[in-house]
Amino acid sequence: MKTILLILTLFLPFAAQATDVEQIIEKANLASYYAGNDGRADVRMTIYDAKGGTRERQFTVLRLNSRNANQKFYVYFREPADVRKMAYLVWKKVGGDDDRWLWLPALNLKKRIAPGDKRTSFVGSDFLYEDISGRGPDEDNHQLVSENNDSWMIKNSPKDPDSVEFSYYMVWIDKQTYLPLKAEYYDKSDKLYRRVSAVKIETIDGYPTVLEAVAEDLNSGSKTVNSFSRVKYDIGLKKRIFTERFLRRPPREVRQ
Amino acid sequence: MKLWLTNFSIRLPWLVAGLTLLAVVLFGAQFPKVHFDNDPENMLSADEPVRIYHHQIKELYDLYDFVIVGISNETDPDGIFNPGTLGRIYDLTGALLSLQPTEKGLVKVHFPGVDGQTPRDEVLDLTPQGAWQRGLNKAFMVDPNRLFTEDGQSAIIGRELIGPSVVDNLKQAELGALKLEYLMEQPPKNREEALQIRDDALGNPLYYGTLVAEDGKAISLYIPIREKTFSYNVANLVRHLTAEWDGEDEVHITGLPVAEDTFGIEMLVQMATSAPLAMLVIFILLLFFFRRISIVIAPMLVAITSVICTMGLLIGLGYDVHIMSSMIAIFLMPIAVADSVHVISEFYDRYHLYNNKRDALRHVIGHLFKPMLFTSLTTMAGFGSLIFTPIPPVRIFGAHIAFGVGLAWLLTMTLVPAYIMLAISEKSLQKLQHSDQEQVRPQSWLTRFLEGLGGFSFERRRLIMLVTLVLVAISAVGISKIEVNDNPVKWFAADHEIRKADAVLNKHFGGTYTAYLTLEGEGRSAFDPARATTLLKSRAREELGTLWPQRSSKFLTALDSLGKAPDAGSFNQQLQQIAARFDAQVLGGWQWLGDEVSYLDPQGLTRATLESQLQSLAAAPQAEIGQLVGELKEQGAGEQLLDAALARIDKRLANGFGAFAGRQLAAFDAPLFKQPEVLRYVEKLQQFLAEDETVGKSTSAVDALKKASYELQYRSDQNDERNRERYAVPGSVPAVAQVFTQLEGMKKKDALFHLVTRDYQKANLWVQLKSGDNKDMEKVVADVERFFIANPPPVPMKHAWAGLTYLNVVWQDKMVTGMLASLGSSFVVVLVMMIVLFRSLLFGLLAMIPLSVTITLIYGMIGLAGKDYDMPVAILSAMTLGLSVDFAIHFLERARQLQQQLGSWQRAATEMFKEPATAISRNAIIISIGFTPLLVAPLVPYNTVGFFIAAIMAVSWLATLFLLPALLTSLQKWAFPNDRSGKGDA
Repeated sequence: MKTILLILTLFLPFAAQATDVEQIIEKANLASYYAGNDGRADVRMTIYDAKGGTRERQFTVLRLNSRNANQKFYVYFREPADVRKMAYLVWKKVGGDDDRWLWLPALNLKKRIAPGDKRTSFVGSDFLYEDISGRGPDEDNHQLVSENNDSWMIKNSPKDPDSVEFSYYMVWIDKQTYLPLKAEYYDKSDKLYRRVSAVKIETIDGYPTVLEAVAEDLNSGSKTVNSFSRVKYDIGLKKRIFTERFLRRPPREVRQ
Repeated sequence: MKLWLTNFSIRLPWLVAGLTLLAVVLFGAQFPKVHFDNDPENMLSADEPVRIYHHQIKELYDLYDFVIVGISNETDPDGIFNPGTLGRIYDLTGALLSLQPTEKGLVKVHFPGVDGQTPRDEVLDLTPQGAWQRGLNKAFMVDPNRLFTEDGQSAIIGRELIGPSVVDNLKQAELGALKLEYLMEQPPKNREEALQIRDDALGNPLYYGTLVAEDGKAISLYIPIREKTFSYNVANLVRHLTAEWDGEDEVHITGLPVAEDTFGIEMLVQMATSAPLAMLVIFILLLFFFRRISIVIAPMLVAITSVICTMGLLIGLGYDVHIMSSMIAIFLMPIAVADSVHVISEFYDRYHLYNNKRDALRHVIGHLFKPMLFTSLTTMAGFGSLIFTPIPPVRIFGAHIAFGVGLAWLLTMTLVPAYIMLAISEKSLQKLQHSDQEQVRPQSWLTRFLEGLGGFSFERRRLIMLVTLVLVAISAVGISKIEVNDNPVKWFAADHEIRKADAVLNKHFGGTYTAYLTLEGEGRSAFDPARATTLLKSRAREELGTLWPQRSSKFLTALDSLGKAPDAGSFNQQLQQIAARFDAQVLGGWQWLGDEVSYLDPQGLTRATLESQLQSLAAAPQAEIGQLVGELKEQGAGEQLLDAALARIDKRLANGFGAFAGRQLAAFDAPLFKQPEVLRYVEKLQQFLAEDETVGKSTSAVDALKKASYELQYRSDQNDERNRERYAVPGSVPAVAQVFTQLEGMKKKDALFHLVTRDYQKANLWVQLKSGDNKDMEKVVADVERFFIANPPPVPMKHAWAGLTYLNVVWQDKMVTGMLASLGSSFVVVLVMMIVLFRSLLFGLLAMIPLSVTITLIYGMIGLAGKDYDMPVAILSAMTLGLSVDFAIHFLERARQLQQQLGSWQRAATEMFKEPATAISRNAIIISIGFTPLLVAPLVPYNTVGFFIAAIMAVSWLATLFLLPALLTSLQKWAFPNDRSGKGDA
């Protein structure tokens, strides 16, 4: 989801005058998902259900930017103990279907996951796969609704309304960092039903980085909080790490 | 004293009329406050443990009440799985998910559109067309467009809807990939795609028998609703949306909430039609007997006033009009009429003796006072005893009928005389008598018939008693055969839409009746490191003993230190550390290799470069490198070589201590439903349930787990048999946990948590029954008890039931035991009252005989006819007690009076079959015919009540007129010790 990427984000110091909405969106996309050439972060994911119960997951994410805005991700689970060493590998392809692989150590099983709906839950949390890998800016029409001293408020309407469950979403983009501060999703009855927000932002290695993000499902009353730690950028990750071979034996970069 | 009320009314009739009117206005003013309650769940009080548990379970597993919409297609060769039908289902599902209120209070839906149609919005007005239906809806405050909560949320909980286009499916895709999508992601464009959907659905144990029929001819949508009270409107909406469907597709709507809600609504219609109809029939009958509207109006006024005041009281006290209380009017009407019919009947017969209203009234009330008081009191006792049942609506019903009966008595004592004083002139009465005397009295056939009967019962008393004894004996057999059973769906007549839908859907599917069987650990034991260590060591011995004969014994010794681990977390951590230490000793070189080889660049890699690159690294393990390179002859180059090298390394590491420890991760403090042996136990329980003929299907988290485990591990390069072996509970805790984690991240989020709690400590089996009969549910409950006794679970576990089908069983049990207790207690109360009334033990006992015989015969008949003892039948016992004792009281009281007057029972008996028997017979006829409108009602409980009231009247009338004189004659020595008629009269 956005948050994970946000962590890994590098803010590019574009000229701050950009008011053209497409430009803002483009910069926000870069700020949120493309910081540095690569990056890593430890994530503590806490899922709060509507009844007050919590589930916790800890994993490490590696990210590598490749050509044409494509990216590769490696997600390695540490907690809970029974899913330790479980891993996901994602090759994000802009404008195409992502490739995904799954490694289940206890079953000694590597499985490829066929491309599917990106708007599905990421490991049962309130974040969606699309929040993690980023929604293509070209998939929506953008309209600058308002702005104040700190942020722009942009309305995003899908070009193919039947491909998604929302009718539109509003996103607030910080004027200084270009990071999206909050996104609110409205259903086809024009009711707010989902919110993703960046709660804590700090600059790491020169990149404004989201260190805590929250996704809320207002219909079911559940929410997920992702806290990021040990965030690093430009650590020189090798392309080879992001291959099936490294699913079975996690790379040193995540084991550290 | 006994004439005080009547004298008062004769003196001040206007005051009585005014007070009555005031009461009617006051109580009638409560009517607009009425609130209806259609929910049979309220048969149990809100703090009933099983009901509280049911709601806890619903909350715990996010379960909702469902409107079940079954769509079947019996004509198409592919059944339901043809592009047309599936497209319509897709469109319907989309529409159901899109409900929005409009400003005008109508309903807006959005059809996604199929087959090239453009998506479209439509505004629906679900208000019925007919004026009658509209009027009823208005009267009962039913708004068919009420499909939203007060804050505008749809009545349908969209994210929980179960339908082919919104449920997950796991399947194999190209390149050995696993595809995760909705079962019907898009409406199929052709036959091939439609059949693919069928195969996917039938290949998923979560869906066949639930979502799709195993014969492929039907699909069900399960529409979860926010409140049960939405179900009638949701059903109506579905009917509206499917009204123009292709004739081949049949739409059936059912489910307990729909049945219950529909019953509630139809019950209101019945209340609005049956009660006035009963009143009309009674009116016509009275007119037939008494020939003067002016006379007949009196009992009608009593009945109407009692009904209005009773219902006004109920509403005014803040009670909801429930299924039971809706019957108050119908029950009260004939009972309320009874007393005043006695008064009117006798007044009419006796007027000519006095030619004066006042004296005639005083005479009539004078000798009817006691029997009327006692018949009213006994009826009140009969219904009042329902207060002691544990079922709140039955308590309210009983208390209010008792009130109504008391009020009817009071009105008979006051309003009837007042009415006669005010509305009937002496002249018209004299004329009436006059004209009657000129011709044969119209009802003389009845009198003649009764006189004949009297002779018979007098002379053939032994025969009568013998026949009675035989009948009672037969009835006793019948009673022993009574089957206690109820099923809200069977409250509808057999040709009702709901019954038909129920039959069709239960034929195609696992069953539309839902119960939940919940499992959880009992007395959760704390993590026990000593026990875990013992278990761990035995596993280590088994798995590592032969691989590492010497090392493993040292390993086992090292594991002993775990016995002192303070908690599961450190137990796990220490285990991994110990294992890593042992691996470093025996597999250190291979570990090093595994790490380094995977980082090698496969580009241009050969056996030689692989070796040299590895050798160049620091701390290179020479022996292992040599061994590996030695094994890589003829293994190609580049990627291929790299994979071959890694495969060899992995093979060695897989036998290591670390790999062993990995398999034990979290195994010793795993929550119950991640433990393979517990899950296999659930599997066994489900196999047992599958053999139970009432259970159509059971669904658990284990089904989802097995399916996911199979699809994840499916290999197209292996045969079906090998693949089928993977259709099983994975063998270790982490394996189970990792598969469950995949299920947690399905497209329909959290669907798994309807079947297991998020902490995996509790599980819920969704049990579908083919029958909603309580006796079938009871059988399943008993079978499951047997299973748990015969198959003790691997860890201490407790189980419990919830779900509407089960709830019905509980309130039925309470009803049966409650009714028996209330019948027993009211029998005793009435007996005591009779003894007090007659100041004689003998007469008291005699008075109980007709009702005892009636109850025995009626319930014997129910048993013999195979009619289930259900809610209406249970209520009838109270009714019988209250009504049939009335005849006996009137008969015995008059018999005693006449015997005293005439000095001889023999002569008295002849008189008894004149006017007293006529009055009793009129009453019996009026009441039994008064209930006949119930026979044509489309709701079975109403038919039952109608039929059995007529039967009760007939039997108690016969019992009174045959049995009592026969017994009195036999017992006259004791009954009439002062009898002067002498002996030899039989």
